[in-house]
Amino acid sequence: MLIHTTLALAAALPLAAALVVGLRVLVDATRPSERWVFAVVETSLVLSLVATASVAAQWAGLIGDPLRGEVSFGDWLRLGDYYIPAIALVDAAAVALGTLGAMLTLLVARFSRTYLHKEPGFVRFFTLLALFAAGVQLVAYAGALDVMFAGWELIGISSALFIGYFHERDEPIRSSLRAFTTYRLCDAGFLMAMVSVHELVGTTRLAALQDAATLPAWEVEVIAGMLLLAAMGKSAMLPFSGWLPRAMEGPTPSSALFYGGISIHMGLFLMLRVAPLLAAAPIVEYIAVAVGLTTAFYATSVARTHSDAKGALAHATLAQVGLILAEIALGFTTLATVHLTCHALLRVFQYLRAPNTIHDAHRLGHAAIVHPHPSASPTPGRLLRYGAALHRLRLEDRLDGFIAPVLRLARALDAFDRRLRGAPRAESV
Amino acid sequence: MVRHTAPATEDPLARALAHAAGVLPDQGPIGVFIHHNTLHAYQHLPFHEAVQSGAARVGARPYLPLDEFRAAFARARIERRDIDAALRELLGADAEAPGPLGLTQASAWRALMIEPVDVTDAAGFRYAIAEGVSPIAIDRARWDAVIARVARGPTPAPTPESLPTRHREMLQRLTAEDIDAVVHPELVRLSAGFLDQGQAVDVLPGRERGFLAAVATLYASGLSGPRGAAAAASDLARLAAQDTVSADEIIRDVLDALEVPAEHREEYLLATALALPGWSGMFSRLERHPEERADAVTPVLAEFLAVRLLFERRAIERVCSARGLPSAWTALRALLPASAPVDPLEAGLVLLALANAAALSTAEVGALDDASLRACWQLRAAATTVRRQQVFHEAYEGRYRRQTLDALAAHRAAALARRPAARAAAQVLFCIDEREESIRRAIEELGAEYETFGVAGFFGVAIDYQGLYDTTPAAHCPVVVVPDHEVHETPIAADLSWHVLRERLRARWNGFERAIGRGSRTLSGGAGLSFVLGPLAGVAAAGRVVAPRRTLAFRDRVLARFVPRPATRLSALREEWTKQASSRGKPVGFSLQESTDRVVGVLRNIGLTSQFAPFVIVLGHGSTSLNNPHESAHDCGACGGRRGGANARLFAELANRPDVRAAVRERGIDIPDDTIFVGGLHDTADDKVQLYDLGAIPPSHDARFETICVMLERARRESARERARRFDDAPLGLTPQQALEHVEARASHLGQPRPEYGHCTNAIAVVGRRALTRGLHLDRRAFLISYEPAHDPGDAILERILAAVGPVGAGISLEYYFSSVDNGRFGCGTKLPHNVIGLLGVMNGHQGDLQTGLPLQMVELHEPMRLLLIVDATPESLLAVASRQAEVAELVTKEWVQLVSVHPLTGDLQVFKAGAFHAYTPEAITLPVVDRSVEWHGRSREFVAPAQVRAALAEIG
Repeated sequence: MLIHTTLALAAALPLAAALVVGLRVLVDATRPSERWVFAVVETSLVLSLVATASVAAQWAGLIGDPLRGEVSFGDWLRLGDYYIPAIALVDAAAVALGTLGAMLTLLVARFSRTYLHKEPGFVRFFTLLALFAAGVQLVAYAGALDVMFAGWELIGISSALFIGYFHERDEPIRSSLRAFTTYRLCDAGFLMAMVSVHELVGTTRLAALQDAATLPAWEVEVIAGMLLLAAMGKSAMLPFSGWLPRAMEGPTPSSALFYGGISIHMGLFLMLRVAPLLAAAPIVEYIAVAVGLTTAFYATSVARTHSDAKGALAHATLAQVGLILAEIALGFTTLATVHLTCHALLRVFQYLRAPNTIHDAHRLGHAAIVHPHPSASPTPGRLLRYGAALHRLRLEDRLDGFIAPVLRLARALDAFDRRLRGAPRAESV
Repeated sequence: MVRHTAPATEDPLARALAHAAGVLPDQGPIGVFIHHNTLHAYQHLPFHEAVQSGAARVGARPYLPLDEFRAAFARARIERRDIDAALRELLGADAEAPGPLGLTQASAWRALMIEPVDVTDAAGFRYAIAEGVSPIAIDRARWDAVIARVARGPTPAPTPESLPTRHREMLQRLTAEDIDAVVHPELVRLSAGFLDQGQAVDVLPGRERGFLAAVATLYASGLSGPRGAAAAASDLARLAAQDTVSADEIIRDVLDALEVPAEHREEYLLATALALPGWSGMFSRLERHPEERADAVTPVLAEFLAVRLLFERRAIERVCSARGLPSAWTALRALLPASAPVDPLEAGLVLLALANAAALSTAEVGALDDASLRACWQLRAAATTVRRQQVFHEAYEGRYRRQTLDALAAHRAAALARRPAARAAAQVLFCIDEREESIRRAIEELGAEYETFGVAGFFGVAIDYQGLYDTTPAAHCPVVVVPDHEVHETPIAADLSWHVLRERLRARWNGFERAIGRGSRTLSGGAGLSFVLGPLAGVAAAGRVVAPRRTLAFRDRVLARFVPRPATRLSALREEWTKQASSRGKPVGFSLQESTDRVVGVLRNIGLTSQFAPFVIVLGHGSTSLNNPHESAHDCGACGGRRGGANARLFAELANRPDVRAAVRERGIDIPDDTIFVGGLHDTADDKVQLYDLGAIPPSHDARFETICVMLERARRESARERARRFDDAPLGLTPQQALEHVEARASHLGQPRPEYGHCTNAIAVVGRRALTRGLHLDRRAFLISYEPAHDPGDAILERILAAVGPVGAGISLEYYFSSVDNGRFGCGTKLPHNVIGLLGVMNGHQGDLQTGLPLQMVELHEPMRLLLIVDATPESLLAVASRQAEVAELVTKEWVQLVSVHPLTGDLQVFKAGAFHAYTPEAITLPVVDRSVEWHGRSREFVAPAQVRAALAEIG
């Protein structure tokens, strides 16, 4: 059936492109030409966009009868009692994210064709981009939590690898590691929620999540809480916001796509997906509203103090993401979907233009911000507010204190391992 | 509350600060980029000495890495005889003296240069040999014999370790902990908040009271310190409570606490300032250049260092007490090993290279006696990496110098034999910029009736210029000159009412655009604007990325249709009797006398004093690109990093005035009445040529002017084509029209880190008659400065030219030199992660150092060499000029440029080296001859050797 084909192609083509490029690099030691890599990846992205647009058309009823709801591909995996259904769910939110994701990825790919030209990591960049595109389509159309999780992880790993793109310097590696660690920690929530839903409801299909609402209240709260944790990590909500400014270490187009466009909004999409569950968990709803609004206020004040173009933009984005989280938790899902889509479009463009700041300042005659004449002496309150925003509440230091023992253990194990094999000592990062 | 004590010179702090001001990057806010010698503080030293000590000081490479030189040798960019010549120069009489293993010194050195004998990655090297993938593994037995022989001794003397100065490096070696990772993020945020010139909404409160005071007050409000140096917060808070705080005292206190001995303090402070060179440098630069500050902020380097050291001290103490190490400088340093033994691998490579050069058999290698080995190690100790790089560098330059001078000599006869037209159809004046070489050649190829000239692109009119939409006037002249005049662009009377209306619209639109930028960062604004502008932004982004050229062209057409720019004129003339001073107290416009001086001066400089064509086109240059924080670096250096269009327009207007013409005629330059000067601007990014004030052209000239326009249209397309061949992503063999569209697309693309290659190709400067170089394909590598020695018996013109061109040319050449040899340290690395901060500059990622110098994308094609300054004048004239111009003398005698004299009459070449001119005998070569330039360069992406272009040498039949 057409819907099966188009759905499958939307995700499979970019994945195939990533595999083709990756395999060629593995098999053939010579570096493939930029032209070839770009042709492979761009073709897959264009076709993926066509496929996802056609899904949208079928959903809207432009091709045949309007198609809503689940589309089953059978089982992905069956292990005794446990099975993962390969199932898609076509609805407004899915179509919105699928189309938006495919469009923005293609846009950024075109942008990066010239931007990344001659860059030693050209092949890596486009391979990761294809992987990301596949991840977005998987998440968008996933009909079950497991399928979604697969896409979720593809997005996470490509995000971390993009942050560490300039791996010859230490700072990007540190930042990449931090994002990765945060993702891992929060994804544990996703994983546990998934298993719990499976155990308690019998299936992880999103369409069956309403049934979960009939579970005992505390169980629903715990499951929703764990999903919220996953969303908070991916969307850099407080207290996990520390990795976001560090993510600016990557090349500008990937920053635009991930932290202006798609990846940062992924947590929100998850919340939209599990809205029925959330609606049955009032405590988690309150927490989500609180987290969203706190993050929004926090990020706005940080954005005010940031002197760098990308850092200010990252926090401005984060503020809106916090706001949208609150909207979802309050039940305004349609508003949230529209807000999310429009916001992603705006930020991607702003990110892509971020290096133009100085040109714009010249063009507009003077700086975008003219500092008012200072008052005689700043009040302690203003100082404290400024300092807290400047140092971002020292979130990172606090988190460092929390994860330092873990890192120490990991280093000790690594050193032990290296001693066993007689390998040289690792540089500390 | 901050007090600065006037430092005594014996004070190590004062000395360190004075020294730091020289060594730190001297780059102001990036909106105006001025090319300068990155190691300007070392310019009083001879070149090699300066780059070696300067680079060692900042921890950079002084020359290209040896690997790159070896690659250049492999592709014959450097030839063997160039290496030999350079070695003879370095070793002098010792070159032929016996060296190790029966080789001469020179051949032993050469062996160590050509063969890779340095190991950067020992583990990888061993692995490659073990796996048999290293070229050395081909003759495994030989390598084993070498290693066995090395193992029997004697071993090379151990290399003395250069002991670190700062605690940070010592602790890093001892504990692998990096205290800068604690201090830098804190410092970068504070500095950015303090120096911000208009990006952050909130800046450091109370910053107008100085960095130290503002930071102290900030922490006194109860803010905690960073993890790892938390105690520094209370130190700072305590300072805020004191009546007077002196940065010097704080620095002294910290150094006392860390027990840094007095004799090492200067060194210590310098190293501390250099730990975050970009930000330290910005404090230092703005401290010395108040005109570059925004708002009422007074940066002081000492205050920055004081705050830095307060954090650093606590971080050091914390690590030391946690690890049980002493924090006292001497005690900590004593814990470090003083020298490291030489890796036998490295010794083996040296022995192998020398044995190969001496053609020893494997058995002979095994049987070498101890004395031979010792001789090898002695040579190894003498031929250090830097020394070998120095020799390679000389050879690299020598090869290019040879090629250029030979070509110039071979071209001379043909060039001087050409009989120029009695009256040219047009004379085009360009900036001396080497990027204009291609369009000049293209114009000359289009007809014998076209002549071109090169003159510093401010065309003798040093002005503070305020364009129609500029908020303040800006200096349009070389940075060393302070303009005496102001010139404004104002709308003509007929367009005045439209101007007023448009101005109002513009102000409203700009306010709106600023409000968007700022509003989208707020909570409510961000939400509201998302809904309103999100979809529009999506459409705009798609247009700008998919079809950048068309989208921008469409926008420009719409704007020109509905809100055209009003016609303007310049306030060029000032009546003698009026003051007409601007609000800044400078006279607005030039008086008749001043105008005449400017016009005569330029025409004399370039030797255009008779035989004027009907059209004299004066073209300034500038560059437009998007998403390019380094945009200004592509503008005109002679206009102080701005565009030269206004200067060209002004010069043309002055030269067209009948009263100026009459006065000029009195001074002996007769400009015919039918000669029209036309000013314009050449955009070096998209090769657009825009001409000004065409209304001044009388109807009698219409038909002829059309021909000129067609000529310029063709020339700029040809220039675009010549440029396009260097861009890997433009296919070779484009038509001129396609090439033009290609460069236009580059300049309008948001995702284009290489809108143009800038001064990347600079290598030569020729001061002299264009006749010497007309018809010679110089591949956009030569600054071309017109100079007529026959008109200059007293060398006064030559002196003026060299005083202006020497420093500007050397500044560009050396900025490119340093950014190329060590792009990470002297340059600013790849553009891709660059993040614009505070309108000051760029940094990598979210909180790093300010990156100064040129980005990788601008220098990737550059061949780092000192400027080859070729002057159409006798050695005597040049020495006379140098004796009067101290800066020129310094550049020449310290060999920061390579000066060559071409005798105006005989064409004899003399190269200045080691304090004197030495005759150079060119090799008799046959220059390749082509009809048109494109035949010579059209099929290659690389640099091309000089060739003769017949079309440009044609005579009017």
